[in-house]
Amino acid sequence: MSRAAQDLELIRRIAGGDEAALRALLAAHQARVYRFALRLVGNTAVAEEVMNEVFLEVWRNAGRFEGASAPSTWILSIAHNRAVSRLRKRREESWNEDAADALPDSADDPEVAMQKADKGAILRLCLDKLSPEHKAVIDLVYYHELSVNEVSEVLKIPENTVKTRMFYARKRLSELLKGAGVDRGWP
Amino acid sequence: MSEPSLKDMEREEIEMLLPWYVTGRLDAADLAKVEAYLAAHPEMAGQLVLAQAERDETVGANEALGVPSPAATERLLASLPAGRPGWAALRAVRSGLQQIGDLLAAPTANAVRWTALAAAVLIAVQGVTIVSLLHERAGTYQTASGGPAGEGIAVLVTFADDAKATAISQLLSDLDASIVDGPKAGGVYKIRQRTEDRSAAARAALMQQLSERRDIVRAVLPSRD
Repeated sequence: MSRAAQDLELIRRIAGGDEAALRALLAAHQARVYRFALRLVGNTAVAEEVMNEVFLEVWRNAGRFEGASAPSTWILSIAHNRAVSRLRKRREESWNEDAADALPDSADDPEVAMQKADKGAILRLCLDKLSPEHKAVIDLVYYHELSVNEVSEVLKIPENTVKTRMFYARKRLSELLKGAGVDRGWP
Repeated sequence: MSEPSLKDMEREEIEMLLPWYVTGRLDAADLAKVEAYLAAHPEMAGQLVLAQAERDETVGANEALGVPSPAATERLLASLPAGRPGWAALRAVRSGLQQIGDLLAAPTANAVRWTALAAAVLIAVQGVTIVSLLHERAGTYQTASGGPAGEGIAVLVTFADDAKATAISQLLSDLDASIVDGPKAGGVYKIRQRTEDRSAAARAALMQQLSERRDIVRAVLPSRD
């Protein structure tokens, strides 16, 4: 049975109030949901809250899930909504930093990293510097390995917009790398 | 400013599709389009390398974030209404026994026969353990969360689809742990580490050790006991 088919069966059982099924769904998806949220909101405690909100929503709305998309796409879609709500709320509360700047600056600036001469590390740091919007599309494509259509469902934007957003996220990444002294020769 | 040529537009279209090309998530039509273009334009190989590096570092950045704390998951589960242990849980365990068969069958498709045989023996032992466990508890069965509470540290795990039984067995042995229940729905097993240290730190350490073995363990979740 494929992962998607297993998830579908779990969601059917969750709709019937089966807590063991929710535990199984958690075991399969919680790390990825948590990481997706954390990359967007930049705070582990908030990311855990988002993750819990996601699975509570799954628990409550499993009966309404019609299976039009893969369960994992549905779950990531909820996670994206919740994370974006948190970011919006943060902006409304005038937390004096832009979300991108509030991300965990766990290591050095790109310039400092460059001194360490680790191209991979610089690329990773620059990925961290992307806006939440660009980071979301990059993560959904490269880490969660969603198709164009699935990213479109999660972000609720047309497929062509998915492609152009990804394109501009990558261009922005090149700009950040250039600022750190790494010229990729593209675009 | 001049209009972009058809040639430029075609190139840009391919560039837009490259990320999905490296993750293998293009549909057939787009895949054929990208492959044809790459074959005709070998200079695009460098672009492909860029996209692959982006993918690798994105995966690395995500994996480095670790897993949510056990406390967070406990909070979620505690906020749910009480579960329904009766028939639903029993059905879950029964369907799980079928998954032993699936796990048993899995290596045969990919490995040489002796590996499959070794895996079969190990899985059979685990299966016997599980059946014995269920038998012992038959008179007092209450929930699907088996195993004697209060001894060692229990956590819930799911194993990677391609994890070999030999590797699972070795990992459990290294951690001085054993499977005490499962598979439950979704292929979830409960494992218990034999230790007198039942602190939150010890539990977190065990979960970290398990989650680091992504070649074997797909996911780790705290158990209620």
